[in-house]
Amino acid sequence: MKVVTGVVGNDIHVVANRLIDLSLQARGFEVFNLGVNTYLEEFIDAVIETNADILLISSLNGEAEGWCREVKILKSKYGNLLDEVVFMIGGNLVVGTGSADDIVPRFKNYGFDLVFHQVDLNTGLDALEEFMKERNA
Amino acid sequence: MSLLQEERNIILNNEYVDNFDFAEVEEFVKNASKNLFISHNFKTKKKMLVQPRGGFPTYNKMFALYEFFDKAGVDVLPCTIDSNTRLNDYATAQKMLRLSEENEVDMLNGFPLINHGYRTARKMMTHFDKPISLRHGTPDARLLIETAIASGIFEIEGGPITYLLPYSKNFPLDKAFLYWKYVERVCANYSKLNEPINRESFGPLTATLVPPCITIVIQLLEMLLSLEEGVKSFSVSFSQTGSMNQDIVMGAVIRKLAKYYSHEIGVDDADIHLVYHQWMGAFPMDPNFASQLINMSTVIASMVGADKIITKTNQEAAGIPTKEANAETVANTQYTLRILNGLPSVVDKEEEENLTLEVKAIMEAVFNDSADTLWRKVFNSIKNGTIDVPFSPHIINNNEMITIRDAKKNIRIIKRGKVPIPDRCFEYEKRQCDLTKDTTSIVNDIIHDIGIMQ
Repeated sequence: MKVVTGVVGNDIHVVANRLIDLSLQARGFEVFNLGVNTYLEEFIDAVIETNADILLISSLNGEAEGWCREVKILKSKYGNLLDEVVFMIGGNLVVGTGSADDIVPRFKNYGFDLVFHQVDLNTGLDALEEFMKERNA
Repeated sequence: MSLLQEERNIILNNEYVDNFDFAEVEEFVKNASKNLFISHNFKTKKKMLVQPRGGFPTYNKMFALYEFFDKAGVDVLPCTIDSNTRLNDYATAQKMLRLSEENEVDMLNGFPLINHGYRTARKMMTHFDKPISLRHGTPDARLLIETAIASGIFEIEGGPITYLLPYSKNFPLDKAFLYWKYVERVCANYSKLNEPINRESFGPLTATLVPPCITIVIQLLEMLLSLEEGVKSFSVSFSQTGSMNQDIVMGAVIRKLAKYYSHEIGVDDADIHLVYHQWMGAFPMDPNFASQLINMSTVIASMVGADKIITKTNQEAAGIPTKEANAETVANTQYTLRILNGLPSVVDKEEEENLTLEVKAIMEAVFNDSADTLWRKVFNSIKNGTIDVPFSPHIINNNEMITIRDAKKNIRIIKRGKVPIPDRCFEYEKRQCDLTKDTTSIVNDIIHDIGIMQ
């Protein structure tokens, strides 16, 4: 399966991004890593260009919400091209403190299928694999 | 008029520069107190120089910080520049400086030197009669360096590789080389007037599991690019790796090879210094633990035999430190240095030989590139992965090399990518590590190895 990944917005925190890349590869995914400082439009372009199954956005600096509000609007511009693509986001998703109970539904409402706020990397990727297995069953 | 002078005229004819007087600045550098030059301090002070980090937006706060440092017995004052100036956004820096002045809230994470102007800044920079080091992170530092030297700041940190690969995703690397060439030339020209201007490279890079051979290669290349343009005083640097033995080995190898390669390009009259950065990775939240870590770094710097140490504070994990915490580290570090006596001499021949072979193999590959000038050879070598910096966010970086810590916490290369590590050395590196684990466990180990001091 193909995954496009990267860090959204003006966030330059690269360490987790590299680790996500390595971990996805170790789990047998084909990874297209756009790196840090990537805009939503660039993600969508890459998903279409590579015909990816999954878009995995990460964010550390807490600015993700500002960028990800636009996901639904952007998705609608592409007709049914993105209907089969799984949208996942993980990391530290808000500025300051917040509870996952509030944050997860909010981000699902923005158009994400899987949302992980301050969740360990491998737990998140296990959940992704589980989700894909059920979906393709 | 020389091409360089033409370029200088263009750079300094700028709405943010109030009438740059070349003749007056030359006269100022010529007659400046020798104590302001760190190159002079390296020669005369028979101790490891202690330099903290720090910068505030307003003149008054910056001056107060310097007063604190001065009282704490600092050897070298820092002038850390704000992030807008680093990105050449002087308009935003100007606005934030005004807001900081009017509201007494710091709206910048450093000193906006260009907005203050050299005539104002010079009063502060010369007031304490101590050398000042410019700390920034600017790919295009031409205007900043002109303003710094005119202000009395005679040490310039940075370089085209070390200020780009850790900090930027897509600033063009070839441009960075050309902008830094300008910096080297300006520093070299001013160096003829009084004591030399010291250039310092930024060895910590991403401060995340960077293997010693990559750090040393980049230090040597930035040194050569600088000496090539006529700089006569240069500091190579690196940061604490997490293994005392690896630090000592690095110190020994970098000193030897700096001398070897400067001789190779026919420069024997330049002074080369060694700078050690206290731990640059993630710090413990507990300020007491942080103080212990800082103290240990100072001990290692002594074992390494560094000429200068750059300090952290016990508030590192919490954000920008107060001037009190910053001054406290200076006083503590000076105390530790004073009571550290009778240090044993540690030499690890096997490790030194392995590291030397790795560095020489990479340097040879860089020199063998078919380009006509050194900067182009280096540029090509980064582009084709001969030089690969772990965890660099820059798109030009190859990102293939993987490193991990061995049982003794030395940083080891377990995947070399396109970096020409000789087979023998690569086998040696891998032999020190447990590679029987699956990749997921290795990724977990990497996460652990990054946060080793927390």
